[in-house]
Amino acid sequence: MAKVNVKVCLGTTCFVMGSSNLQELLDLVPKKYGEDVEVAGSPCLGLCSIDWEFSKAPYVKVNDEVIKEATVEKVLAAIDKELKA
Amino acid sequence: MFIDIDCHQTKKYNQNAFGDYFVSKRYPDEARLIAVLSDGLGSGIKANILSCMTATMLLRFVEGDQIPIKDAAEIVMNSLPVCQVRKISYSTFSIIDINDEGHAKVVEEGNPDFLWIRNGEVMKPNYDSIPSKTHKNRCMKSYKIKLDLGDRLIFCSDGITQCGLGNPKLKLGLRRDGLIDLVLAKLKEEPEISSSDLSEYIVRQARNIETDRNPKDDMSALVLYCREPRKSLVFTGPPFLQKNDAEYAREFLEFKGKKAIAGGTTANLISRELNIPITMDKTISIGKLPSCSYMEGVDLVTEGILTLTQTLEYLENGQWDIDNAAGKLVKFLLDSDCIYFMVGAKLNQAHYNPALPIEIEIRKNIIKRMKSILQDKYFKKVSVQYM
Repeated sequence: MAKVNVKVCLGTTCFVMGSSNLQELLDLVPKKYGEDVEVAGSPCLGLCSIDWEFSKAPYVKVNDEVIKEATVEKVLAAIDKELKA
Repeated sequence: MFIDIDCHQTKKYNQNAFGDYFVSKRYPDEARLIAVLSDGLGSGIKANILSCMTATMLLRFVEGDQIPIKDAAEIVMNSLPVCQVRKISYSTFSIIDINDEGHAKVVEEGNPDFLWIRNGEVMKPNYDSIPSKTHKNRCMKSYKIKLDLGDRLIFCSDGITQCGLGNPKLKLGLRRDGLIDLVLAKLKEEPEISSSDLSEYIVRQARNIETDRNPKDDMSALVLYCREPRKSLVFTGPPFLQKNDAEYAREFLEFKGKKAIAGGTTANLISRELNIPITMDKTISIGKLPSCSYMEGVDLVTEGILTLTQTLEYLENGQWDIDNAAGKLVKFLLDSDCIYFMVGAKLNQAHYNPALPIEIEIRKNIIKRMKSILQDKYFKKVSVQYM
């Protein structure tokens, strides 16, 4: 099975809009899913500047799916979905 | 050639103000540096006011270039009032006006003679004595010297040369000879020591000589060191026109010196143009600043506005937390002599969302303030290029 790739945007907008709290995923996910899921921070996913509804930060990418206004719960749900797919 | 300059001071025991005053200014356009050290009569607030006035007035006179430095110093020497109680002049001063080729003019009145050290030896420069026409006991010395790479100049107030006065071992204090021994020994140990470290060392050692480590006078040590400049580049913000990305990225690549990137989008841009992958630091930094990333060939990669804002605050306060990205950026900046900023003018619409904290400032403003603080407080040479 291919690994699920999670990227947490740590750019300025996302960071102040809440991705600082999403960094706990870096701890949480390996504990919960082990080797199946890889989480990493990203300097900037470049989404806030192209998505004109820019109040939708913070952004997280789970494989190719973009999660807007991401929370830990939303991200975990998306990971579960990907793992089942 | 870069002139590394720093001054360290300590107050007289039981005083709450510095009686010595140091002021210095760089003029990047003229490749010139002027510094003045003044020692006010007495100590505490009174001395502070006297020395501050003398030093700032001299700096203004000399920087104006309307009259030669000698004449400026002579006017000040003649016009300094005499203390009614002690019948001596209100303040002493040393001025140095130096350019990047090492041509220096020095004028001293009342302060201990400066040390000029080359290859571990103290030089004996010629000088003109200019006695005051109005005051008998005042005489200034004017020097014209040429410094080479590796040379150092050390100025100090009499608090340093007279420290330990009255000790059983040093009946007449440290004196010039003692200072020379101290400095030469340290230079032998650490030939490349920075001006900041050396000036701190001199003051600390002088203080250690005093009984109970209580300085009996204000102490100042001003050090100038001629050396090859350490250059560094900070690339922050994407260029206004995207078609120029490749060109600026190449400029970044070809820069000789240390390099830093401040900005997520900027890091992505460099990574894309130069084909260098980015890896993010795995450590978590909840609530503070986003952690650093790594790119081969780049010394520091951080987030943009938040880190820059915090860095500016650290520079203003003079203390920082070395663990976070801003602390690393401060260290990066302070370890350099010449700092180039490449500042992209493109604005990110998302930063103007009213939901964001008001601390999110325009990049250009932050860099402008950072430039002036790096120049005025940390004596760096800074140039900024907008793109």
